Amino acid sequence: MAAFSTLLKSFVRNANLVKNGAAVSNNLLRPNTSTALEAVRKMSGHEMMHIKPSRWSWNRFKDLLNFYVMLGVIPATVVITYINLFIGPAKLAEIPEGYVPEVHEYYAHPITRWMTKHVKKSYQQEYEVMCQHIYETDYARKLRLAEKRVHQKMQEKQDSQAYYYEPVTGRNERHIKSMLERSVENVGTR
Amino acid sequence: MEDPPRAPAHNPFFRFVHAVQNTIDRPVTWFRESVVTPNRPDHVYYHQKFRRVPTIDQCYTDDPVCRFEAQQQFNRDKLVDGEIVQLVRQRLKECIAYEIPDQDRKCAKLKEEFDKVSESFCMKYADLGPYNNVKDAYMKQKHRMLWERRHGKVGTGMKIEE
Repeated sequence: MAAFSTLLKSFVRNANLVKNGAAVSNNLLRPNTSTALEAVRKMSGHEMMHIKPSRWSWNRFKDLLNFYVMLGVIPATVVITYINLFIGPAKLAEIPEGYVPEVHEYYAHPITRWMTKHVKKSYQQEYEVMCQHIYETDYARKLRLAEKRVHQKMQEKQDSQAYYYEPVTGRNERHIKSMLERSVENVGTR
Repeated sequence: MEDPPRAPAHNPFFRFVHAVQNTIDRPVTWFRESVVTPNRPDHVYYHQKFRRVPTIDQCYTDDPVCRFEAQQQFNRDKLVDGEIVQLVRQRLKECIAYEIPDQDRKCAKLKEEFDKVSESFCMKYADLGPYNNVKDAYMKQKHRMLWERRHGKVGTGMKIEE
């Protein structure tokens, strides 16, 4: 066996390979036409190096994809299997007298129950919040309508001393004053 | 969700079929009954019952909160009534599928029931357009009653003014 590899090495030294100084462009496209060398090459039992484009990026992509998918898939599978086997969906029952069930007791599957308990807002909560919101905006709307009617009447009759009185608060003036004081501290002048 | 008990098979063919089914059924059933079911806690769930609130015809015109509540009740009632219609329709369909080709004679009562139920559903909820509105449904009822006052029952034709 060693004899054959030395034979091969002597042939390789004279062959048209890149390491012997041949041009790269020619080497890949034009196959080595020395039939004797080819015959000897095919006789060796060693692994050959296949010249082909790099598959490193593709392999790394597959690795990463597999890793990150399994990072989610495996815990999720374990947890969901455990929940379905050992906790299981609830059974339907009549509401006992005088008992007001919690919101999460209206659902069957344990994961849905958990979500309604910890994540989701209940129907009743959303409903009551909406009722309050409607009440408040309607109140504001009614006040605005009343103000508009008062303005109209004042315009028509022209008998009021109010002269479309604009209510003034001191809040803005106080704020401006405090800002001025602060800027005097920072800058030195107003 | 339990399967109905299988009738005992005296026939060798059915015994064979049952044996083939049992190769998968027996281990699964054993696993469930001995490993899974004893370890499960007994928890129950209920169907929510909603209180009745005033309907749209009992609300003042400037009370939007009352109107909102009436609208939500209308939506819930529409779902419930839809399910009722579905149940009656399902009964009729099962009867027809079972009794073909005698279905005209044997399912007549169910068909009559279904016609009545779907007619009342459509009287209340249909032809209102894509955005359901409790006020529109109320107005529809009012218009129907006016029309009936002038022309008689719906379905008997319009009376032409002389």
